[in-house]
Amino acid sequence: MTALAGTTPPRIEARGVTVRFGGLVALDSVDLAVPQGAVVGLVGPNGAGKSTLFAVLSGLLRPGSGAVLMDGRDVTSVSAQARARRGLARTFQHPELFPGLTVREHVVLAYRLRHARRRIWTDLVTAGGFRRAGAEEDRRVDGILAALRLTPHIHLPVSGLPLGTSRLLEIARALAVDPHVLLLDEPSSGLDSRETDELASTLSNLVADHGVSLLLVEHDVELVLGMSDVVHVLDFGVKISEGTPTEVRADPAVRAAYLGTEHNEAEAEAEKDRDKNEDEERASA
Amino acid sequence: MLSYVVAGLALGAIYAIAAASLVVTHVSSGVFNFAFGAMAFAVARFYYFLYIEQGWPLPLAAVVAIGLFGPALGVLLYAVLFRHLRLRSPLVKIAATIGLSVALPPLVNLALGQLVNVTAPGLAPQPVAVFRPFGTVVDMNQLITYVGLALVLVVGTALLRFTDTGLKVRALVDSPALTAMSGVSPARVSLGVWAFSALLAGLAGVLVAPTAGLSVEGMTFLMAAAFAAVVAARLRSLPTAVGVALAMGVVTSVIQRYLDPESALSAQIVPSVPFLFMLAFLLAHALRGRAGDAPTGGVLDRAIRTENTVAPTATTGSGFVAPLVTIAVVACLPLILDDFWTGLVATGIALATALLSCTLVTGEGGMIWLCQITFAGLGALFAADLAANSGWPPLAAVLVSALCVVPIGVVLGLLTIRLGNLYVALVTLTFGLLAQNLVFMRDRFYNSGQGIYMPRPEWALDNRSFALLTLAVFCALGVFVVNLRRSTAGLAVTAVRWSETGSRTLGLGVVPVKVLVSAVATFVAAVGGGFLALAYQSALPDSFSPFTGLVWLAVLVTVGARPVVGALVAGLAFAVLPSVFQTYLPTRWAEIPVIMFGFGAVMLARDPEGVLAMHGRQVRAVSGWWRGRRAPAPEKSSTATPQGELV
Repeated sequence: MTALAGTTPPRIEARGVTVRFGGLVALDSVDLAVPQGAVVGLVGPNGAGKSTLFAVLSGLLRPGSGAVLMDGRDVTSVSAQARARRGLARTFQHPELFPGLTVREHVVLAYRLRHARRRIWTDLVTAGGFRRAGAEEDRRVDGILAALRLTPHIHLPVSGLPLGTSRLLEIARALAVDPHVLLLDEPSSGLDSRETDELASTLSNLVADHGVSLLLVEHDVELVLGMSDVVHVLDFGVKISEGTPTEVRADPAVRAAYLGTEHNEAEAEAEKDRDKNEDEERASA
Repeated sequence: MLSYVVAGLALGAIYAIAAASLVVTHVSSGVFNFAFGAMAFAVARFYYFLYIEQGWPLPLAAVVAIGLFGPALGVLLYAVLFRHLRLRSPLVKIAATIGLSVALPPLVNLALGQLVNVTAPGLAPQPVAVFRPFGTVVDMNQLITYVGLALVLVVGTALLRFTDTGLKVRALVDSPALTAMSGVSPARVSLGVWAFSALLAGLAGVLVAPTAGLSVEGMTFLMAAAFAAVVAARLRSLPTAVGVALAMGVVTSVIQRYLDPESALSAQIVPSVPFLFMLAFLLAHALRGRAGDAPTGGVLDRAIRTENTVAPTATTGSGFVAPLVTIAVVACLPLILDDFWTGLVATGIALATALLSCTLVTGEGGMIWLCQITFAGLGALFAADLAANSGWPPLAAVLVSALCVVPIGVVLGLLTIRLGNLYVALVTLTFGLLAQNLVFMRDRFYNSGQGIYMPRPEWALDNRSFALLTLAVFCALGVFVVNLRRSTAGLAVTAVRWSETGSRTLGLGVVPVKVLVSAVATFVAAVGGGFLALAYQSALPDSFSPFTGLVWLAVLVTVGARPVVGALVAGLAFAVLPSVFQTYLPTRWAEIPVIMFGFGAVMLARDPEGVLAMHGRQVRAVSGWWRGRRAPAPEKSSTATPQGELV
């Protein structure tokens, strides 16, 4: 989980992004970068602007000012589907699945959009609907489904799937497009603790094995702090902190945002020491 | 000029009453009532029955028909249909109310008798008194119409603003869930709203009958014109709807001052005015991004809503056996039936080909297009024109004309991409009505109702050969549809249908996918239209009225909008069943099939997948029970070889 340092531009970057909804400033000149092979966490209380920033990064929302860059190129005015074709994938706080498709068909579609895009058109004239899928497609699709423990559900339609399974399917679908950068919006919501641990392990392997960059929005702060190389904290649309998990955990502004301004400083100091020890233990492990 | 304005205001007042009724029911129940015209016809016909046929005094007949029968009809329809629709998908809501609009008029005719003379009295005593204020002419019917609108507005506003009942209605509009938590029954309030709406429908029907005629067509035209005002009001604003309705009436009337009443242009332009209004407002809303699906209810309602929209999946159905058996049976029909029935079977198969376009655009794409019959009509007319006037071989003419119609469908698809479901339905219906008035009625095509002669290929002159040829074309297009459904394109279409946001973030463009569906569906509809012309041996513009298209849709969704074989069954049912009833049953039962089609669509409110899917599930349940299981095991499907797919 170490970010590739050096001159390589970040996989995705927000520069001075501002979004206004009428009189409400949802994001106020926010900067954020997701380096190659890094896990970046994004936390903040409800209404902080996390989902808005996700929408801006993924191209679903155009910022009022500021820029979004992918691999150093300005993609601010590039559509969501074009960004996806450049290697950006995302999941949603409320899973955006296709109720007319089975679990496996979700992953098959995503795989083909990345690896056999022309089949959308060629299948019509080559009777592609009646041909068996290629061996490589089957191997990759079944591999992704197995990695996320979705194999038992592959032939089920997605309407009626439990929330946790729906989230795993969204992640599987996102992985099938072989993304360079993956934006995960509350991926552990709806999962039990065992499933959350398994998901964290899968995501860590993904980063380690394939160099995928992750941007993680999560209410489970421990999960974010445990996985992330860098954490950004938003509050009321303003970035109030940025740093390693230890630094963020110790930041008084973050504590104030989460716990209120009357937070006991002595307690904060004690927690800071405890976090430092934990970080050292994790590093040595 | 003043006399034109006065007459226009009377027409606009009737539009306004109709528009008020449509807005009230839409905002309070989320149902856009496509059966408004049928309800207006039912009440107006009952008024005619009491006043003219039974000789009741006018005031008594009016009070009983409009004041009692109308609300009673509203209550009945709420109980059997509308209350089941609130949480249904837009397609089911639209199809079910279209079904009601198809079934109700023949049911009324069955009970009260078919009228030969459709001229009807209004609410003014006969002979109708005429007044001449300010040098213009106002008759008593027009005066009653003004008073009627004023009364509706004053009483309606007073009810909504100043009474406890109005408070409950406004609460229901905002949030049925919170209304229920306040101790008020949303069902009871809705019942009252539908009763009031039916009363307004009846009033509008009785008022419009003297000018538009006491016919289903006249009432449906009234409804379609009122749609324009409702669209202008973005389906919600009562004052806007009333204002635009009045303006529309005045424009319709004033424009006649500048047109020669005998000219063909006048006959085409005047009835098109409301639809041109609707088109203008729809485009304005679309350009401003204000024509999406408006959420019904409040936050709590959306949070607790049970999602009962049935998503079709590849696992629905019973494999290839049933479709193949069905096609084999249909292929045998021309070999065993006489020429008359074989001709009907051929017509049914040609219609089934046109219905395949609905299978594509609505069943697969989830786009509620109400103008497939217009594409079929354009395909038929262009093909007949090429074959009869330019000497083209008939099949080549059908193919080329279908290709010529495709760009129209693509443009319509592009224009409607950002619209909500209901707006798409209204835009496509408007397009159909405009095409009917402005294209189909042209002398070149209409030819005094005779249409254009369409020769059959020389090797398929007899009905038997032609039926088999049509079946072959249907099968070829059916295989194409099945291939599309099972292919990557089919997955993409399904993905876009259910989540445009999810699709875009996968790298899947919404525009190309929808354009693909629009183009293919338009082509199929136009080919079907061409074969219908070959079946009739004439391209008859009257056969392609948008209102007939609503019956087509009702029949298709009754059987099932998604299975390919459903289109075949629906086409044959539509073409053959009426003749079966006419031949073997008493004449007055001739409209029973239409009633059946309508009620079939109404039943969608209970089972949104249609009759075939319902019976398929029943057969599988019995089969599962026979094998000693409680329920059939989930069928295995894969993208490469989806199993259990109805074709």
